[in-house]
Amino acid sequence: MSEFTLPQNSRITEGRHFPAAAGAKNVRTFRVYRWNPDDAANPRVDRYDVDLATCGPMVLDALIKIKNEIDPTVTFRRSCREGICGSCAMNIDGTNTLACTRAIEDLPAGDVKLYPLPHMPVVKDLVPDLTHFYAQLSSIRPWIRTETPPPPDRERLQSREDRAKLDGYYECILCACCSTACPSYWWNADRYLGPAILLQAYRWIVDSRDEDTGTRLDELEDPFKLYRCHTIMNCTRTCPKGLNPAKAIAETKKLLVERRA
Amino acid sequence: MSQFRTPLKRALGLGSAKHGVHHFLVQRLTAIALIILGIWFVWFVLRLPGLDFDGARALLAAPWNALLMGLFVIAAFWHAQLGLQVVVEDYVHTHGWQLFLQVAIRFLCILGAAASVFAILRIALGR
Amino acid sequence: MASYTIQEHQVDVIVVGAGGAGLRATVGLAATGLETACITKVFPTRSHTVAAQGGISAALGNMGEDDWRFHFYDTVKGSDWLGDQDAIEYMCKNAPAAIIELEHYGVPFSRTEEGLIYQRPFGGMTTHFGKGTAQRTCAAADRTGHAILHTLYQQALKHDARFFIEYFALDLIFDADGACCGVLALDMNEGTLHLFRAHGVVLATGGYGRAYFSATSAHTCTGDGGGLALRAGLALQDMEFVQFHPTGIYGAGCLITEGVRGEGGYLTNGAGERFMERYAPNAKDLASRDVVSRAMTIEIREGRGVGEDKDHIFLNLQHLGADVLHEKLPGISESARIFAGVDVTRQPIPVLPTVHYNMGGVPTNYHGEVVQKVGEEAEKVVPGLFAIGEAGCVSVHGANRLGSNSLLDLVVFGRAVAQRCAETIRPRQPHRDLPSSATDAALDHFDRIRHANGSLPTAEIRLTMQRTMQADAAVFRTEKTLQEGCLKMDQVFASFADVRVSDRSLVWNSDLIETLELQNLLYNAVATINSAEQRHESRGAHAREDYPERDDQNWMKHTYVKVDPNGRCAFDYRPVHMHTMTSDVDVVPPQKRVY
Repeated sequence: MSEFTLPQNSRITEGRHFPAAAGAKNVRTFRVYRWNPDDAANPRVDRYDVDLATCGPMVLDALIKIKNEIDPTVTFRRSCREGICGSCAMNIDGTNTLACTRAIEDLPAGDVKLYPLPHMPVVKDLVPDLTHFYAQLSSIRPWIRTETPPPPDRERLQSREDRAKLDGYYECILCACCSTACPSYWWNADRYLGPAILLQAYRWIVDSRDEDTGTRLDELEDPFKLYRCHTIMNCTRTCPKGLNPAKAIAETKKLLVERRA
Repeated sequence: MSQFRTPLKRALGLGSAKHGVHHFLVQRLTAIALIILGIWFVWFVLRLPGLDFDGARALLAAPWNALLMGLFVIAAFWHAQLGLQVVVEDYVHTHGWQLFLQVAIRFLCILGAAASVFAILRIALGR
Repeated sequence: MASYTIQEHQVDVIVVGAGGAGLRATVGLAATGLETACITKVFPTRSHTVAAQGGISAALGNMGEDDWRFHFYDTVKGSDWLGDQDAIEYMCKNAPAAIIELEHYGVPFSRTEEGLIYQRPFGGMTTHFGKGTAQRTCAAADRTGHAILHTLYQQALKHDARFFIEYFALDLIFDADGACCGVLALDMNEGTLHLFRAHGVVLATGGYGRAYFSATSAHTCTGDGGGLALRAGLALQDMEFVQFHPTGIYGAGCLITEGVRGEGGYLTNGAGERFMERYAPNAKDLASRDVVSRAMTIEIREGRGVGEDKDHIFLNLQHLGADVLHEKLPGISESARIFAGVDVTRQPIPVLPTVHYNMGGVPTNYHGEVVQKVGEEAEKVVPGLFAIGEAGCVSVHGANRLGSNSLLDLVVFGRAVAQRCAETIRPRQPHRDLPSSATDAALDHFDRIRHANGSLPTAEIRLTMQRTMQADAAVFRTEKTLQEGCLKMDQVFASFADVRVSDRSLVWNSDLIETLELQNLLYNAVATINSAEQRHESRGAHAREDYPERDDQNWMKHTYVKVDPNGRCAFDYRPVHMHTMTSDVDVVPPQKRVY
């Protein structure tokens, strides 16, 4: 049955405080979740005072500044720093988003709270274990599936209208912000595919070039894989790329009804 | 334990049940039915305070009222069963408990619906 | 000697890196039945190919007349005649088939009214040998790299390719005969060491943009392949050629695609003048990148920049209209809003030339096999070692890469490497015994850095390196700045002996990984600035103010540079291939390069 308290070794403790250097002009405190698998200690929250006068505008800039200048042990993923690779997805002040595109000045006043993506196993600090998420992506066999061989010497044709149907879906960066913001995914991630993967599935269902639409719908028609979506809409609210996974899921449900009538 | 299984094995699980759209449809159809019947039900309840026991019986025994009340309780119990099933699926993760609750919910809902329909029939068709 | 447990894996081919080139090679190898493993330090779809925007070139002729020979001519000219013309022929001739193949894989290209792949104009891409403007760059809106990378990852899943994700390659392993026979790697998630034995090792590790302070490159573009090769005593090629992209967002450095100018955008200076008309009367804003970057730098230097400090340039696209921007350039509209606070339907984007691409890399032939100069033989194949993509140097880009030729390079040579391995490696061929001492040096090296306990944090050394490279190996170079830069880089390189790693753990120790990356960056940076110092001419992206002309007499040759463990560089040269593979196309003899 449900557990309502955290296990003893998961309770978060207050960590260290790293004050800003003397003479700092515009100080903002970042509260960062820390957990290291190498020691037996409970997770803690360390506080870092960062001088924003010498820091870039984004939350990722602050994290890099902390790692470069204050505490090199702070651990997080990052790569492109322009919102296209999806590495630095984390929970910032209660919202899942990309640290590289979230401006510090747009955050509500007070300390900035940085946690890993919720309800995922933590590898270290802000680095979640996304193995299951990626395996779920593999499980839907997300590649083009056709029986008819493509023309040997040219591209398959696709009308502009059909291509436009992929807009809003093919842009997904697999950052996992949406899935890890979904309460239904929190409770049933073992069986529910979650918004990101369902969006990926719909991206192929709606692609005019793909011929395996029926099988794709068959594979999704399941009380857990698809129908754990209760239209809570956290996915769409939180998507850092402005996509609408809830719509992809709703469209999939519509198609499942449509093919019966 | 699933710890030694590959991530893909865990993600695939038992595969797709290839059903669910029926549940989805019926849940929505019963919801629509309950909206319409619910309006009638409010009208019906609002008339009751002005009536004594026999008056109330007579009101329910009227053919249209008896029919609509029958439909209302069937839709309500059906919808409740579908909704509670989802709640249990969402939150109860112990296999035995889940099985017990799913069966119990179904039985209770069927019992409730059958008892209600029986009562309505008795009133509508006289002693 | 440090003692570590090493898990050994035996495969036919190991690919290091899972960007466009690495994934294309992995897909090709997996499809041929060779047992392939791909190790990557980031999840494949997070590789930097994902950030490529404008498109991928191929003479499909979907939007007007085109011929791969025109593409060949443009690429040779773009390379400022440093590109090897046989390799360029191979790439341009194979381009249409490679793009068709990508479409068949499912890449969501934008479409024309006829349902064909949409193609847009790009810098330096012409028809009839410079006379007309070609629409040659196949695009998926302005997210072409993202579309291609995700599709390639999907294909890799389809072919059951084996990935080792978040594994960091530490060193190449060679056998007694000098053949590359494996890679030692660190599993970041577990903190364990793994030896991947293979008959072919493919380096697809990308560029080293992060050697500079301001780059469009991701934080992970740290030249790991170049570092691995240099530390193994191999020479890199043409490292002096570093491309500055004309339109990085001022301040943030994020890329704004050349496709903006392809769709009709243009640059203006502080006086509101379209200054590119003066520098490139024909191609104007669609001249090749080195030309545009130099023009912008001159405008700023002569006091005609925009902004309070007159230190940047405006990229105008307001006139394109909201519909075109929404359909064809949605991604950069978003980037401009987030990183420059600009609404592109109403305001210009502030931009600045920003480090973008490394033409240099591990020298290879057009099969992707790594070559070295041994005695009189200028291109002797190193058995078992391959390099592709930005990590390699075929050389198809010569002294300057044309926009949208990079994605093409990835898929064409990723494919070529897979074909070559299929020809030369038998599946499940047994591995020769390797003495346990073969990994000693690599383990020692790893252990030393892991326990580095000096006085300088990684970030501090990195910052000094980045500032030095930014200041002294910039768009314009002179003897004075380069010599100063070489001296400073010597010091920075030496200071790495005093580096400090603060995190002593092994699981996801990003402090350690950044330090290993810094070492790779340092090798690349030293090679770059020293190579630039010794090339006494201006060619492509290498613009020397003291040698403003191209000198074909003395310098039409590739630079080979080795870097020893003390950071000392040794140079050698090899001639440019002034011949083609077949008689399908004629050699383009050197001409003055005007746009």
